[in-house]
Amino acid sequence: MASNLAVAVLNGIVWGLIMALIALGLNLIFGLLHIINMAHGALYMLGAVFSWYVIELTGNYWLALFVAPLAVGLIGLALERGLLRTIEDQPLVTIICTFGIMLVLQQLVLTYFGGTARRIALPIPGRFPLFDLQYPLMRIVIAAISVAVMGGLWFFLNRTRYGLWVRAVVQDREMAVALGIPVHKVYMWTFVLGSVLAAFSGVLAAPIVSVDFMMGREILIMAFIIVIVGGMGNLWGSVVTAVVISLIHGVGSIFVVPSTATVFSLGFMILVLLVRPQGLFGE
Amino acid sequence: MPGSGNGAILTLEKVCRSFGGLMAVNYASLSVRKGELRALIGPNGAGKTTLLNLITGIHTATAGRILFKGEDITRLSPDRISHRGISRTLQITSLFSGLTVYENIWAAAQSRKRFFNPFARPERWADVREKTEEILELTGLVGKAETVCSELSYGDQRILEMGVALSTDPELLLLDEPTAGLSTQESMALVKRMRAMLRGQTIVLVEHDMGVVMELSDRLTVLHYGEVLAEGTPAEIMANDEVRKVYLGK
Amino acid sequence: MLLDRWKGGAFPLAFGLLMAVLAAVPFFAGLFYQTFLTEILVWALFAISFDLIFGYTGLLSFGQALFFGLGGYAVAIPVLKLGLGTGAGLLLSVAVPAVFAAFVGFFSVRLTGIHFVIITIIFALIGSTVGETWTSLTGGADGLVFMAPPLDLGVAKLDLMDIRITYYLVLAVVALSFLFLRRMVRSPLGKVFVAIRENEERARLIGYDVRRYKLLAFVIAGGLSGLAGGLYSLSLKYASATFLHWSVSGHAVVYTIVGGAGTLLGPVIGAGLIMSLEHYLVKLLQATDLVVGAVLVSTLLLAPRGIVGFLRGRRK
Repeated sequence: MASNLAVAVLNGIVWGLIMALIALGLNLIFGLLHIINMAHGALYMLGAVFSWYVIELTGNYWLALFVAPLAVGLIGLALERGLLRTIEDQPLVTIICTFGIMLVLQQLVLTYFGGTARRIALPIPGRFPLFDLQYPLMRIVIAAISVAVMGGLWFFLNRTRYGLWVRAVVQDREMAVALGIPVHKVYMWTFVLGSVLAAFSGVLAAPIVSVDFMMGREILIMAFIIVIVGGMGNLWGSVVTAVVISLIHGVGSIFVVPSTATVFSLGFMILVLLVRPQGLFGE
Repeated sequence: MPGSGNGAILTLEKVCRSFGGLMAVNYASLSVRKGELRALIGPNGAGKTTLLNLITGIHTATAGRILFKGEDITRLSPDRISHRGISRTLQITSLFSGLTVYENIWAAAQSRKRFFNPFARPERWADVREKTEEILELTGLVGKAETVCSELSYGDQRILEMGVALSTDPELLLLDEPTAGLSTQESMALVKRMRAMLRGQTIVLVEHDMGVVMELSDRLTVLHYGEVLAEGTPAEIMANDEVRKVYLGK
Repeated sequence: MLLDRWKGGAFPLAFGLLMAVLAAVPFFAGLFYQTFLTEILVWALFAISFDLIFGYTGLLSFGQALFFGLGGYAVAIPVLKLGLGTGAGLLLSVAVPAVFAAFVGFFSVRLTGIHFVIITIIFALIGSTVGETWTSLTGGADGLVFMAPPLDLGVAKLDLMDIRITYYLVLAVVALSFLFLRRMVRSPLGKVFVAIRENEERARLIGYDVRRYKLLAFVIAGGLSGLAGGLYSLSLKYASATFLHWSVSGHAVVYTIVGGAGTLLGPVIGAGLIMSLEHYLVKLLQATDLVVGAVLVSTLLLAPRGIVGFLRGRRK
């Protein structure tokens, strides 16, 4: 029983760290551009799907980790420049438009990748003795990579000029314009960054779950819930919330049927939305 | 001195409103008599709009009371306050932008009816139609009745907003910087139109344009950092040293 | 206003003509087209109920599938497990979702914008999760298959195994619902909804209890969505938990946006057009949703007021 619990906790943390990346990407896009990106789950899915193709072609997971997010970043670039720029100031229109983009992306993958789920062979097989268990090494590596990516994001936002621009535009857009910051470029690259983070999650999740064209749909709602409960614009809030929710769900599933755990966590979300809509950690 | 029972229709008793740590309104007390035109002046950020928001229920006072016609309205919602007889225009024009002038006024004019019947025909509501046409005349926008609100000039929108506010037959009208953003010419036209539209309602006017303030108001209340700095007739206020200091620099 | 009066004269004629054409369909088209049209009518009803809350009241809900799916079960479960009649089932398909909508709406209308969208999705997600796991009641994703007993109208008994009769029933119910909604949006109550859509704050300031009216619109829409779901399960003799999933709400959103939100006619046209498009496309490619998604995005970018909105704009 204890080992079951320990595994559930570890799995919860690992999955929470993966979800944290997705949520961070969504939070950036929403916190800065106020774009409600319903295609975010599809971008995560594309990350996983592209990584599958890279591995098919080269057998190299690490290459996939590099190539897939880049490819999705390019797609994000095209989406922002081509489609979203004109409607960015209308939230409801953006929600519906990105819903349409989600449909298109899902169906493109359905057409070329197929409808059956595929698995990725674990690039790092084997177990690692952790506490009393033999825990899959791959998951530990995934968690480490996720933390590394988050560290990279922190570094980018706090130690680079571009990150400074992003924070300035979030704080006070008009002032940023007055200071000569190229706001449109910042918007564009932020959307790209958000897409890249979603794709990263997808690549990291691929060895754990199976890759299929619908995998983004459930993730999408979870990501929104994490962002809203954690506080829109509050990046640390998203990380903490992602891990906590994941833990609650994972550990809860030991004691109750998963669907009950799901319903309870959804009910909890509703409570937070009603009582503290700015999020647990939002202002 | 503040207090009801001396013909005061609106009374604020030590009203406070804080946002986070900031006291936007700081123990403000004032009293407005029925039929009076009270101007509320003060530098930017003095809390004038917040005060109006408190009266109309958009914000709730964190301390103190607001009395209207002797009744406590401090905690009422904006729609209930509207039914008590208070109307308002906003600093940034707030209208139904996609609807026509006629539809904007109608929406306000019909607000006192009951809507139990989803099959009712609006054409049968003669009283609402009369009211709408009456207000339309008052605003001078009869020729633009079918114009969509977003296509009106800014000045016309300000006038329309006043018409909408008057459509509910308010006893107290709160006007938040009606001449903001207007040229001198447009301001004069607006004031002229205002005089024609107003029929002895009690008015609280927030304004920066001192010319308009002096011309229209019976009494002035000066706000500074959320507190009532001074109150009196226009002449008294102009002569007040503290007020001059606040306005003309320290 | 002038245009409204003119249309007031033309509408009965146009509507009557359309009804005549639709009523004549079984006489010159085969069973497939009757079934197909039945399906279009059902989704058109779902779409116009969405238009009430989105196009007219400004509430974007992606959770209307909850009421659609509930409506389906409100017919299937009583008929299958309690032996109730089809008529009672149809009434329940309005009443039960309406009650749920009152519950969901009571909490949801306190929120706006993205928060409102999310909370409606969450409620729908709870519904579909419960629906998919409570298999003893709902049959889960496999759903419930049932025999629909003849609908007893007193003067006649309608055999719903007959595709033609089902078609006429659905046509009548959807047409009546359309007329009902049309009357409502033109009534003073309808004007309150529109005012709320245009400017909530101003609506409040002139004395409307905005929350209460939003709730009313939400409940009416929920009831009509349920009716659509009930008609759907009656026509298919089948109800499934998959209809509870929030993504099914997407149908209503697409048809309404493409056809033109806030027009009632638009969602109907959108449903007919998109569903016909899907039908003819499916021979070419499996992923018809791709085209649907592309049409949706194109509409939003190029003609955001939809087909009907675009045409009406040009007339002025």
